[in-house]
Amino acid sequence: MPEMTYLQAISDGLREEMRHDETVFCLGEDIGAFGGAFKITEGFIDEFGPDRVWDAPLAENAIIGAAVGAAVEGMRPVCEMQFADFVACGFDQLVNVAAKMHYRQGLAVPMTVRLPSGGGFSGGPFHSQNPEAWFVQAPGLKVVAPSTPADAKGLLAAAIRDPNPVVYLEHKHLYRRARGEVAEGRYEIPLGRARVAREGSELTVVSYGAMVHIALEATDDLDGASVEVLDLRSLVPLDREAILASARKTSKVVVLHEATRSCGVGAEVAALIAQEAFEDLDGPVVRVTAPDCPTPFSPPLERAVLPQVDDVRRACLELLAY
Amino acid sequence: MPQMGVSVAEGTVVEWRKRVGDWVEADEAIVDISTDKIDSEVPSPAAGRLVEILVEPGVTVDVGTPLARLDTGARPGEPHTDEHAPATRTAGAQPSGAEAPPPGPGAGDAHAPPVSPVVRRIAAEHGIDLSQIEGTGRLGRVTKRDVLAFLARPGEGAAAPPQAPLHTESPYREEPQPTDAAGPPSGEPLSIMRRQIGEHMRRSLDTAAHCTTIVEADMSRIEAARRAGGKRLTYLPFVARAAIAALREYPTLNATLEGDRLTVHEAVHLGIAVSLGEDGLIVPVVRDAHELSHEGLAARIEDLAERARERRLRPDEVRGGTFTITNPGAYGALLATPIINQPQVAILDLEAVVRRPVAVDGDSIAVRPMTYLCMSWDHRALDGALAAQFLSAVRRHIEEWSG
Repeated sequence: MPEMTYLQAISDGLREEMRHDETVFCLGEDIGAFGGAFKITEGFIDEFGPDRVWDAPLAENAIIGAAVGAAVEGMRPVCEMQFADFVACGFDQLVNVAAKMHYRQGLAVPMTVRLPSGGGFSGGPFHSQNPEAWFVQAPGLKVVAPSTPADAKGLLAAAIRDPNPVVYLEHKHLYRRARGEVAEGRYEIPLGRARVAREGSELTVVSYGAMVHIALEATDDLDGASVEVLDLRSLVPLDREAILASARKTSKVVVLHEATRSCGVGAEVAALIAQEAFEDLDGPVVRVTAPDCPTPFSPPLERAVLPQVDDVRRACLELLAY
Repeated sequence: MPQMGVSVAEGTVVEWRKRVGDWVEADEAIVDISTDKIDSEVPSPAAGRLVEILVEPGVTVDVGTPLARLDTGARPGEPHTDEHAPATRTAGAQPSGAEAPPPGPGAGDAHAPPVSPVVRRIAAEHGIDLSQIEGTGRLGRVTKRDVLAFLARPGEGAAAPPQAPLHTESPYREEPQPTDAAGPPSGEPLSIMRRQIGEHMRRSLDTAAHCTTIVEADMSRIEAARRAGGKRLTYLPFVARAAIAALREYPTLNATLEGDRLTVHEAVHLGIAVSLGEDGLIVPVVRDAHELSHEGLAARIEDLAERARERRLRPDEVRGGTFTITNPGAYGALLATPIINQPQVAILDLEAVVRRPVAVDGDSIAVRPMTYLCMSWDHRALDGALAAQFLSAVRRHIEEWSG
């Protein structure tokens, strides 16, 4: 299997789906001639032409709104938000229109919204956010956040083929840093299935996206403790069975995410474990997250806000010793 | 030993749910007892710490006998007291044997850190006294790892249950273990229920002069009636209704024989054998069954059978039968020679209903749903002619069924 970066895998997955299915098309800001802010769609306009690779105006509400209409008519649009943060401008079309279309009118909305998300590059408060919790709370949307190139390609394919609107969070930090073998051709990673990134027996770190790599690094050598790392991959649907199976096995759980803390995915995972696996717990469920504040520009301040390897190590060691 | 039913005089301790030193909540199940064929759990009369067990499993005692002593002055958070230290106060329902000195200074002052849910659960499952384990967690807390290490010590027979492996593509679902159709593995002691069934059957065969009479019955009208009813009933309530009608004509079969004293009963209290699967068999009694229609019988039988399978029958509900019907016909058997449920004098066996060619209306042949009514009866109480007359009456009520 060829090795690809996370970015190449997303690009490859999108290209394969467009080659295979004529109803798949892309729209977003500067994705055509410029190839996208991060070059995901580089060369796409040459292969597929401007009818299937639309350069859209700077209007996220129009991009998502146009996609909703196309999806209802049977197309499979893939919208690119230049940065995840800007999806706020398209919030009404995504959360009020797309998410509730099937509930209200019984219509499928097979669209995908790609959100380049996350911080770690001094991008400041408008270019570093992890807005997944907004969409986890909007019934009708599915939400995925891959951590590896192979998952990035397979989950993008599943998102495009799914009849529901899917919010696809791709972490910018992983674009050129995460590398891995990726199968050629078309394949799909089913939505709603977590992945055991590393098996272990004494403690579980539940995470997703870029933080999976932080979790693996932080727990690689914790005084010999056997630490399981569970990569959620999908946030909606959430793989409750995998979370509970791991919690029941290890009895100690750290939930790690880069997004802010209150009412985040970690809160949902912790509450699930407290409710369903209480009798199997040997310590409190611990969250390691960004605090409830915007992401700073300043590199030292940003490091202080985003969970670092040492933060995760410390939390795991404390819980192991509990 | 609590009074589990008006007619129950004694009970046998089956298993203690709690060990000496354990904390018991009020109304929490503390011990399982067996009276006749019914196993019941006994709730604790008060909250406290179990100080002494007075009746060991397997021992039968009269109602009113103290089973255990409970220290109601103890507090749930404190470490277990010495297992042999007598209690200071005891619950009223279970009087103390001897007054005890107050606990020594410090007993109960030491505050061990609270244990986590998983540690408490593992300790309860394996009957571990956590005070024996040195905790390595924060402030000396006993962790899950500590309990598992304690269990894994050589000589601690009970090892921790194996961890289910987690497939890398979760969720992993473990295949259920195949059940052994041949029953329990060799060498296991019989359950209390099996032993009791064995004793009861052996005693009946040693007591009664068993004889079995068989008649054949055409179930066509019953089958039609089953189809006509709103709720699809089994054959059993119809046959029970027919048997009750025949018992009114031949009351000698609605009787009990104890020693040389035969008592013919006015009311029909109808025993119905209910299979509990591999565990055994129980015969709950439909009291005053003669007052019930077949629909009423069906409802009562269903209720008793359901509660029997859930082990929720009261001891009174398996006593006082005057005649019994057993109905294993669902499994396709044609004939059986049942053993009489002592001290009754007869038991009727309803086997499978099978479509068979039979001669009807003189020389014609028709296919009819047929069954054999097999009845074992006690030759000490009656003779074959009466048994045959009774069975013929049952057949008549079945074949002339008019609802």
